[in-house]
Amino acid sequence: MANEQIFVGLEIGTTKISVIVAEARADDQISILGVGETPSRGVRKGEIVDMETVTECVREAILDAEDKTNVEIGNVWVAITGSHLASFNNRGSLALPGERQIEPEDLEAVEVNAKEVAIPTPNTFLHTILQAYHVDGNQNVIDPLKSEGALLEADFHIVHGIKTRIHNTLRCIESLKIGIEDVVLSSLASAQVVLSQDQKNYGALMIDIGGGTTDYLVYIDGAIRHSGVLALGGDHITNDISVGLRLPIARAELLKIEEGSAADAAGSQGGIISLKNDPRFLGCDVDRTSLETIIHLRVKEIFELIRRDIESSGEGMLDLIRGVMITGGCSKLKGIAQVAEEIFDIPVELTRARNVSGATQIFEDPQYSTAIGLTKYARLVTKNIAPESMIDRLTQGLGNLFKKRSP
Amino acid sequence: MSTSPSRRILVGVGNAGVTVLDLLSVEYPGMTGLLAVNNDPDSLNASIVRDKIEVPEGDPGEGFRMIDEEFGRIVEGASVVILCGGLGGETGSFLLSALAIRAKSAGLTTMACVGMPFSFEGKHKKDLAVRALEKLEEICDAVVVIGNDQLSSGSPSIAAVGEAFALSDRTLLAALLALTGMLSTSGPVKITRADIHNVLGKPGTLTHFGFGKAEGSNRLHESLERALKSPLLTLPGKGSALKESSMILLLLRGAKDISFAEVQAVVGKIEQIASDSCQIKVGVRADGPIGSALELYLLASSGGTIKKPLKNSESNQTGEPSGADSANNPISRIGTMATIGTKLPQPTGEEEMPSGHSEGGKGADELFPVQTKPASKSGKKVAATSKQMQGTLALDTYQRGRFDKSEPTIVEGEDLDVPTFLRKGIKLNPPIRK
Repeated sequence: MANEQIFVGLEIGTTKISVIVAEARADDQISILGVGETPSRGVRKGEIVDMETVTECVREAILDAEDKTNVEIGNVWVAITGSHLASFNNRGSLALPGERQIEPEDLEAVEVNAKEVAIPTPNTFLHTILQAYHVDGNQNVIDPLKSEGALLEADFHIVHGIKTRIHNTLRCIESLKIGIEDVVLSSLASAQVVLSQDQKNYGALMIDIGGGTTDYLVYIDGAIRHSGVLALGGDHITNDISVGLRLPIARAELLKIEEGSAADAAGSQGGIISLKNDPRFLGCDVDRTSLETIIHLRVKEIFELIRRDIESSGEGMLDLIRGVMITGGCSKLKGIAQVAEEIFDIPVELTRARNVSGATQIFEDPQYSTAIGLTKYARLVTKNIAPESMIDRLTQGLGNLFKKRSP
Repeated sequence: MSTSPSRRILVGVGNAGVTVLDLLSVEYPGMTGLLAVNNDPDSLNASIVRDKIEVPEGDPGEGFRMIDEEFGRIVEGASVVILCGGLGGETGSFLLSALAIRAKSAGLTTMACVGMPFSFEGKHKKDLAVRALEKLEEICDAVVVIGNDQLSSGSPSIAAVGEAFALSDRTLLAALLALTGMLSTSGPVKITRADIHNVLGKPGTLTHFGFGKAEGSNRLHESLERALKSPLLTLPGKGSALKESSMILLLLRGAKDISFAEVQAVVGKIEQIASDSCQIKVGVRADGPIGSALELYLLASSGGTIKKPLKNSESNQTGEPSGADSANNPISRIGTMATIGTKLPQPTGEEEMPSGHSEGGKGADELFPVQTKPASKSGKKVAATSKQMQGTLALDTYQRGRFDKSEPTIVEGEDLDVPTFLRKGIKLNPPIRK
């Protein structure tokens, strides 16, 4: 088993830290060898707030993965999220004097041009993802290298975030003497395994609802048109329950998982849920309708915020989305699809990693979508990279982190 | 300083007052409009404040008469005078009141930031301070009172006494910065003199004061947390003093990039602590360089009665921009004050001071005989408009819980860490305990 065929995805989530070890098969499919994981501590809303604790958790998760898969982990692909991440679309253009054939350098130059926009000083570029090339006004030229023209234009989806916060994640992993292949926007990773190429082409919105954040991504005509991170997730639902029903956080979390439903409480069966007392909690009876009201209002609000964000980021974009795919740990909440359908008014599907094989109980669980997605992303990227740039990457190490690669 | 180009003058009186101005000059070099007044030549000589008035030693009344004219000249042209010092000493107690009367009589908005002595300084000092404070409250448009005992909980050890005094000075400085900062707010989010008067112009009130400073990405929450932890914002056995306040002044001072969402988040958090009927007046001064620290000041008061009913226009809670400074003076009896002011140094028996006591070239002790309670001229309460209701559930039970330490999730100006049902005012059925 050649080592370069093994990819390791690391997601430092708010709820848990997952390490997925996967093998790329000859047919480009990803086969999962195993997962290592630990409950996450020191992460709030997808961002590291306690470096030392997080580092310890990551170490445990990696050891766990090594134990389970018998693979020695040297390098990882890391997912990144947090409300500091922002995105926009931008077009770069390049005049080609004398109308000549487009060279690979021109493609690089046009990307550099597209990045010549002001982002806040503390920020750095995370991704510059190609959407489409245009040559002399001809839209969506599939392979510009074969065309001739006087003007090359290219649209990019650009993701940027606060440098220090991205570095926090990197420092934490580096301190464990683990190499970092690349950092990848969480939603971009998830989308690799959650959305099929057809869905990307047809127009899809992927929503990954995790513990601390909700990450979403819009694909239209096969290209990313929008991405966003909301620092809201399952933790908020738990906190709402804890506040509304005056329960300890741990009890509220349990109640959410066991009895929670995001469906409109108007259709609630009503009645009372009896919570048994335990050594740390005096039992009580809670009103089911109240529980459902709390969850419904929060979930509905999250979807409304996403809808409004998409509406404001591109006119008519919402109309081009034909389906909503929901994944992430919180997608397991009952009734969540109905709420999304109500807000977006298009078909909604609960989904998880697909087109992967191996340990089924792992990829069938939507909470691993991001970590599995990382390995798929890794496969796509490394396959597309020319050998010389592979050497570049090895010699330049982290300096090359923010290089654009668009699977 | 023959004429003052500055619209507000900060006057440090006595040793404590001069120390505070020195601290201020070190922290904010180049600040103008500072004046040190003391009868201790050593203190004045050591001070780095440029403009100083030395009061001749000996009888304070006599001494004041010697500097009255010079002081009057310096404050001429200013619109606000803020006096600062410690009460309890003979100099500070007398001079603060005398200078306040002088400034008031010149038609200036007059405020004071004073420290009350520690209990261990003795009963005599305490009594003197209490009487001086009552007088100051009568005269000034606003008084911030810093109780030194409250600052250092319990009695400090002998070794820590120096630190206790230093803490007192630093707190006085912060209070002075709070007042000047609030006065310098402008634009749509500002605190007016009428607001300050409403909160701090009532005799017999307890001042509640907190401040915090922080930088970095979580500057907002850290500074607020520090401010809320201030011992002067806590009522023994009752929790946060903000609960008892009908109006809270909040000043945010810092970098240009302070956003409305951040202001909103702070206000939201204070609303959760404050009573439902409390009104929060916010002032923002965002002129610092990007990345500079955020300073957050909270001023409120509880108890006491309003000194004098304000004229309608002045009690306007919307904080309308004021016109001419003297016209904005909330004290309607300025004329009477003027008479008193000019008469003050004269040892006549004639007395028009509201408290009705003789003044003159006697010891400070005689100047502040035990007063009858300041007459509550009116039982009228400050009209407080109701703050925005956030929900039908009592919000005081809500805490940010697990999100307390994290950066708030603010989208479209709303703090989304607050449960949706609370923000939408949805009523729930409470759990039934077994």
